[in-house]
Amino acid sequence: MSPKIYFNEVNERQGVFHRRAFLMGGVVGAGLVTLGGRLAFLQLVDADKYRTLSLDNEFQSRLEPPPRGLILDRNGVILASNRPDFRLYVSRDENTNVEELLEKLQRLVPLDDAHRARLLQDVNDAPRRAPVTVMEDLTWEEFSRINVRAPELVGVTADMGDIRVYPYAAAFAHVIGYVAKVSREDVTKDGPNSDPILLNPGFRIGKAGLEKSYDLVMRGKPGAKKVEVDVKGRVVREDPGGDIPPVPGETLKLTLDADIQNRALEVFGADSGAAVMMDCRTGNILCMFSAPSFDANRFVKGLTGPEYRALADYDHKPLLNKTVNATYPPGSTFKTMVALTALEMGIPASTTFTCNKVWFWGGRAWHCDQAHGTLDMKGGIAQSCDIYFYQLALKIGGPDPIARTATTMGLGKLYDIGPGKPWPAQRPGLIPTVEWVRRARPSDPVWHPGETPSVGIGQGAVNVNPLQLCIMCARIANGRKALYPRLVDTIGGVPQAAAGPAPDLPFNPAHIEFLHEAMRAVVASGTAAGGAADLKLGPITMAGKTGTAQSHSYHGGIGAHGARGAWDERDHAWFIAFAPADDPRYAMSVLTEHGGFGADASAPKAREIMRVALLKDPEVRARIVQPLPPPEPVSAPSTGGAAATPAPPRSGSAT
Amino acid sequence: MTAGAYTQGRERQRLSVRLTQIDWTFCLAITMIALAGAAMLYSVAGGKWEPWAAKHLGGYAFWFVVMLALAMVDLQVWFAVAYPVYVISLALLAYAAVKGHATMGAQRWISIGPIHDFQPSELMKIGLVLALARFYHGLSARNAKLSFWLIVPAILIGLPAALVMKEPDLGTALLICATGGAIMVLAGLDLRIVAGIGALGVAAAPFLHLVLKPYQWTRLASFMNPGAERSGAGYHTWQSQIALGSGGLIGKGFGLGTQSQLNFLPEKQTDFMFASLAEEFGFVGCVAILLLYAAVIFMALRIASVAHSHFARLGAAGVTATLAFCVLMNGAMVMGLAPVVGVPMPLLSLGGTVMMSMMIGFGLVMAARVQRYAEISSGKGAVL
Repeated sequence: MSPKIYFNEVNERQGVFHRRAFLMGGVVGAGLVTLGGRLAFLQLVDADKYRTLSLDNEFQSRLEPPPRGLILDRNGVILASNRPDFRLYVSRDENTNVEELLEKLQRLVPLDDAHRARLLQDVNDAPRRAPVTVMEDLTWEEFSRINVRAPELVGVTADMGDIRVYPYAAAFAHVIGYVAKVSREDVTKDGPNSDPILLNPGFRIGKAGLEKSYDLVMRGKPGAKKVEVDVKGRVVREDPGGDIPPVPGETLKLTLDADIQNRALEVFGADSGAAVMMDCRTGNILCMFSAPSFDANRFVKGLTGPEYRALADYDHKPLLNKTVNATYPPGSTFKTMVALTALEMGIPASTTFTCNKVWFWGGRAWHCDQAHGTLDMKGGIAQSCDIYFYQLALKIGGPDPIARTATTMGLGKLYDIGPGKPWPAQRPGLIPTVEWVRRARPSDPVWHPGETPSVGIGQGAVNVNPLQLCIMCARIANGRKALYPRLVDTIGGVPQAAAGPAPDLPFNPAHIEFLHEAMRAVVASGTAAGGAADLKLGPITMAGKTGTAQSHSYHGGIGAHGARGAWDERDHAWFIAFAPADDPRYAMSVLTEHGGFGADASAPKAREIMRVALLKDPEVRARIVQPLPPPEPVSAPSTGGAAATPAPPRSGSAT
Repeated sequence: MTAGAYTQGRERQRLSVRLTQIDWTFCLAITMIALAGAAMLYSVAGGKWEPWAAKHLGGYAFWFVVMLALAMVDLQVWFAVAYPVYVISLALLAYAAVKGHATMGAQRWISIGPIHDFQPSELMKIGLVLALARFYHGLSARNAKLSFWLIVPAILIGLPAALVMKEPDLGTALLICATGGAIMVLAGLDLRIVAGIGALGVAAAPFLHLVLKPYQWTRLASFMNPGAERSGAGYHTWQSQIALGSGGLIGKGFGLGTQSQLNFLPEKQTDFMFASLAEEFGFVGCVAILLLYAAVIFMALRIASVAHSHFARLGAAGVTATLAFCVLMNGAMVMGLAPVVGVPMPLLSLGGTVMMSMMIGFGLVMAARVQRYAEISSGKGAVL
């Protein structure tokens, strides 16, 4: 096939080759020089830019949740703190067989099949590499078992974080509330809740009570952990030098007292209701309890469906904060307001009315629970005579003067926890006026005289919440200042103001003193006489007012108090009280929902709670102990019941 | 025992004399490159000999001996097996196209008997050089410049290029075309033809997407605009540039390249080996390696130039062209100057078959050096 090649051609081919080889050398050389130039550009000119990019690849900042601020009672007793928690996360990447991984985990930690099925869903739904919490609160053994097997459990992380713990979970469940896992609705586009720390699986957000209202204050600032990661985002090394430590949240010191609050939990037992106590000199709230309660710690971990349904479906409504989020007719406790109105209007305390158990007026019969005979105003309060107050209210002439007194004393209003922090879902209740009827009842916009007597005994449209009634009682006890409640003492050591300024009360001191006298008479000889409100603390006595409020229209004839029958048809039992009666320091309101008579159901609870407050007050204690002869001071305080010791055990709170 | 132009012909054929004719400087240069590769493979494996560095070193040692042995083989034998090797390579390529197993969508690998994961396209690199050298050995300078006969080398290049393109392996197809073209030019192709083909190529560029596979097209598009798709198709190039740039003047240090150690750099042990080296040894290390390649290329070109037979000249120069194109294409790709095509850095990157084709090629270069005075008689006295 080859054509003939001659000698000169051989030389020619060699010459061509040499020239072309030289050309090729030049081309290749130029190419190599181009590469070198490019290298110089990348590695010498732009080196800094690429070095930064390389560091961005290599290092990541992992957010670290800050320790949440503590909540303390007025004496520094811890009401909410953080404890270490061993947790287990699973995150998946492209190659993770989640099912197999969970199966492996099931052999190491207790994990039931239903839980596993839900986790499988959760992990598969979560974005790639986003950790999903599998378990919390591992024991140390389980935690180390996982850590030892870490190399074969790719995608599983076991780490330690803080978790909220409430040592007195039940006593403070409503007022302090609880934190829980961040839900999708909690995360906002901007504002403080857009912080990426919310996406951290260990992070908890305040969902109720003070935990919700003061969430940002207690949250603190997340820190960052500098870690070296590989291309799959797995941590290769930690770099403690580059860490930014988290800033812990502020400590919230409350005015509440753990002992008083725990006593309230004890005395309520299985009853439903609420108890609020204020220092009637400062407005500090010492007790704010709603019954029945629940274990706030369960919410931190997350309730199971059945657990939640059990709480939500129970007719005693354990999840409702009855101190502010529910209203009830105040019943006879409202008679204090009617009496004060009358006195301020110039109707003397000596005004008498006669009670024959039934009183006919306006074409119908008005009932009282017994024939009290002829009473003056003090007797009317002490015996809680309805017929007296029907007539007194009519004498006053309408709802408006009573409403003015009642709202001045704090009813019908909304209160803040602290400045600018309203109670969530607070209900204002209602103190009816002519104007209100005109606005709220368009079908019948006129106040009928027949509605006035009901207002005189705190029924009809009158509705209050236990906090309001406690404020009213505290203002009566104080007499001079319109106190506002104060719940948060300090935030991070900075003293906090009360929810509002305390203006002077416009009432004649003599009239206030009359009310004090009448309330002392309630305990001494009136409706709460006979031990129900007897503190048994020597010279220290309590003054109070019972209330038995009709919770609905009676079926069994007018005038029959509903203390028996089905639970939810019984009357609400109220007791408001202050002590010491001669030098008021503590004022409180106690509601026993559907508890029957105020003196039977609520006065003993008020007595027991009040005893704790009084015995913890060194000045009051000095008055109790000193005047007595030597052998008796030991026995005197201890005969009153379980609350004899000033500090009830603190451990028996989590129920 | 020095063998020179005055040495008698028979004397030159003695094995002991041939051994002394081996270019040991050349051997030293390629060994240094291979050792640098082994060191980098050791480093990117996290300071371990397994799984790459030991394999690389062992493979090199084996093929180095093979290269020396091939250098002893008579050029006449090389000449005689040229077409058979080409035909076998072509057959294997065709077999791979039908039966080969795919990795990442490309049919490039075949297994025959005990040999697994063999890339016929690598053998074709040698086969093509041999076949073209043999063909041009018998072609006059005038015919080599421009004649009807040039249809033969065009077919010799076109067939394997088409088969490799079909696999699809754009990088190797380009390499085959470039090497073949280089040999045609070296043999004396009219430079006006070269210019014409270049112009045609530029004109055809807009229609490239008609022949390219979608993934090849994405790679090309991402090369045109690397910043746009840093997590997608442009990811390789971008991470490679970060690795290079962050190396700076003297690099991050041996075993301390974060881009490769933490796997941000993809294909760090094969196609992007040079980026790993650049990251850990910086500009200084890169220039050193490029200088070594330059030295190897120029030594090989010189060996080609002094050979007496046209076959040895074109053979050695063809191997050199393969090496040079590999280095330039890989370098350009790693540095973001060219789209990502699967061309490894010869001797530096891990890759058994690539090492094989390169070392067999060097065997031919060395044979051309050892037997630089030998003449080849076409037809008469051929072994086959």
